[in-house]
Amino acid sequence: MMELRLKPKVSGLSIPLEAEVISPDVVAGKTLREVEELRVYHGNRVETLSEYFEVEGEVAPNPEEQLIIVEGDVSWVKYIGAEMTAGKVIVKGDAGMHLGSRMTGGEIIVEGSVGDWAGAEMAGGLIRIRGDAGDLLGAAYRGSPEGMRGGCIFVEGSAGYETGTGMRRGLIVIGGDAAPFTGAHMNGGVIFILGRAAKRLGAQMKGNGSLIICLGEVEELLPTFVYDTTYTPTFMRIYLKTLSEKLGIKRAEEYIGRAFRRYRGDRAVGGDGEILVVERG
Amino acid sequence: MPVYRSVVCPFCGCLCDDLEVTVEDNRIVKVRNGCAISTSKFLHHHENRVEKPLIDGESATLEEAVKEAAEILKSARRPLIYGLSSTECGAIAKAIELAELIGGVIDNTASVCHGPTILALQTLGESKCTLGTVRNRADLIIYWGCNPLEAHLRHLTRYSAMARGLYTSGGRKDRYVVAVDVRETRMKRVADLFVKVKPGGDYELLSALRAVVRGYGLDVDEVSGVPRDVILELAERMKKSRFGAIFFGLGLTQSEGRHMNIEAAIGLVADLNHHTKFVLIPMRGHYNVAGANTVTTWQTGYPYAVDFSRGYPRYNPGEYTAVDLLSRGEADAALIIASDPVAHLPYKAARRLAEIPTIVLDPKRSMTSMIGRVVIPTAAAGIEAEGTAYRMDGIPIRLKKLMEPPEGVLPDAEILSLIIEEVMG
Repeated sequence: MMELRLKPKVSGLSIPLEAEVISPDVVAGKTLREVEELRVYHGNRVETLSEYFEVEGEVAPNPEEQLIIVEGDVSWVKYIGAEMTAGKVIVKGDAGMHLGSRMTGGEIIVEGSVGDWAGAEMAGGLIRIRGDAGDLLGAAYRGSPEGMRGGCIFVEGSAGYETGTGMRRGLIVIGGDAAPFTGAHMNGGVIFILGRAAKRLGAQMKGNGSLIICLGEVEELLPTFVYDTTYTPTFMRIYLKTLSEKLGIKRAEEYIGRAFRRYRGDRAVGGDGEILVVERG
Repeated sequence: MPVYRSVVCPFCGCLCDDLEVTVEDNRIVKVRNGCAISTSKFLHHHENRVEKPLIDGESATLEEAVKEAAEILKSARRPLIYGLSSTECGAIAKAIELAELIGGVIDNTASVCHGPTILALQTLGESKCTLGTVRNRADLIIYWGCNPLEAHLRHLTRYSAMARGLYTSGGRKDRYVVAVDVRETRMKRVADLFVKVKPGGDYELLSALRAVVRGYGLDVDEVSGVPRDVILELAERMKKSRFGAIFFGLGLTQSEGRHMNIEAAIGLVADLNHHTKFVLIPMRGHYNVAGANTVTTWQTGYPYAVDFSRGYPRYNPGEYTAVDLLSRGEADAALIIASDPVAHLPYKAARRLAEIPTIVLDPKRSMTSMIGRVVIPTAAAGIEAEGTAYRMDGIPIRLKKLMEPPEGVLPDAEILSLIIEEVMG
């Protein structure tokens, strides 16, 4: 992959920068000079990328071969990798809101934490967050009926409120704790929670194969989720092995062969989704 | 001594329109039919007024203040326009025009009251009716997380529990009244059934009611502190009513769960409509907060939290809402219209307002006017200026002008027009 490095010239801007141009799809095929001239939005002003970043490295002819490395903390930059279809972005610090929102392919790695709406309505690709995620990770934008439609998000830390709201397909893995309303309105897709799952899990979950798997403690389930069985699903072995091998979550293997309590709901909406909670001990 | 009849009260979302106000020597001396709050608002209208335009606390002319305000807004990168719920619709429309012109963010106080309601309505839709329909037809009324006896004083007698209507000629006797709250308020005395719910447990209770209405059993003994029997009985009563209405307030919208609470309530009402007629009406606080949402929607497509920084409207509560914008330190100038955010917003947001150049348009002195860089007095809509306001059920009502404003003081819309002209140069 050809490497393009963006070094922030400023730090901790109070007015965030909107820079959806930090995406392999936008920079590929341009010259370095053209990349420097790309438009970014700071409040109501239109400026160029080079006013905020030093641009160096190489530009690939097509997005598949493009790697963008953002060197440093950019929690003040929104929309990094939004709508990207291919290539790779590495952020060596925190990133702002809407990271990888509506992306359909490629990979984003964030070494720090991300703001709200990361991976919102994404349809493909992989987002890996080493720190924590804000609220509405992989969620549906307001007024939109569907959230994440495909791809995978792995947060090593904790995730905020309403993670995976309106999720339709895809996989979200939360290494740490999950805040309330994780998987609300879920209508397909899978969410793994390795840490503690807060209350109101899967609120108004419809079904359609939607599945929330809790490997850690669960604060409380809604009264509209009903226990139906304890079993050791065969598919769990495959899932856990995949998590270990593909995403490098070695501790997932510890749960192979463990029994799970299955709850169905959300009956408040006549839903038929499932929450699986690992049996203690 | 002119006596104005059918005066509309510009205080709460009830917009009672049957007041009689007597004006003597350009001063209100008597109010009939008004509630205690309304009477007090009219009778003390002349007190605590901002008398002259101020720049940095010093008296200035209107022209100077407008010029200074325009300079502040023009040079800002992320200006915020906020408030709007206690002024008339013409001023709100002007504020939106200004927001677009300066590439700013416009938000109204709905974002700290019924904003979550709007989010939920956008997701699930709305089953609603006018307050007149409730008065004429409702035989089951549920007040959830609201206390109209202390906040919307004439709501019960004019529109809901006690009102006599076409099919409810017995008034209170013809209705079954339920109040749901986290503590025993005065509504307990009015209600046939008072349901005390654990703080932050509304979502669970609404979900359980919904499941029961859908015909599922409930295999827990209690939900959020409410016994199973009470839930089953309430669900049955809801299904058997001829016409049911849920009024809800900030106890539901601003407690844990926020818009998800309202989604659960809307879902419950939608499910109940398979059995009977049921509606849901938010208890809007400020008299024209519903108008602020309505005007913003018809002009921009979105009800609040609208960002014009890219030249076209974008909407995202949590990102463009005033509290978030201020607490994150994003806004670099603010124009506050008919609102007192310094007294009501969280500390961090209020402090930011004091740090940045803030322009305040208000008839009265307030905590916000005390921190304002530029303060411009305005004529109070509904007393010194005409205009339109929207009642909590979405009915537009024309406000009356009862008296002349102090000399040289203009209505919000006219001051905003002057600022727009100055910004355009």
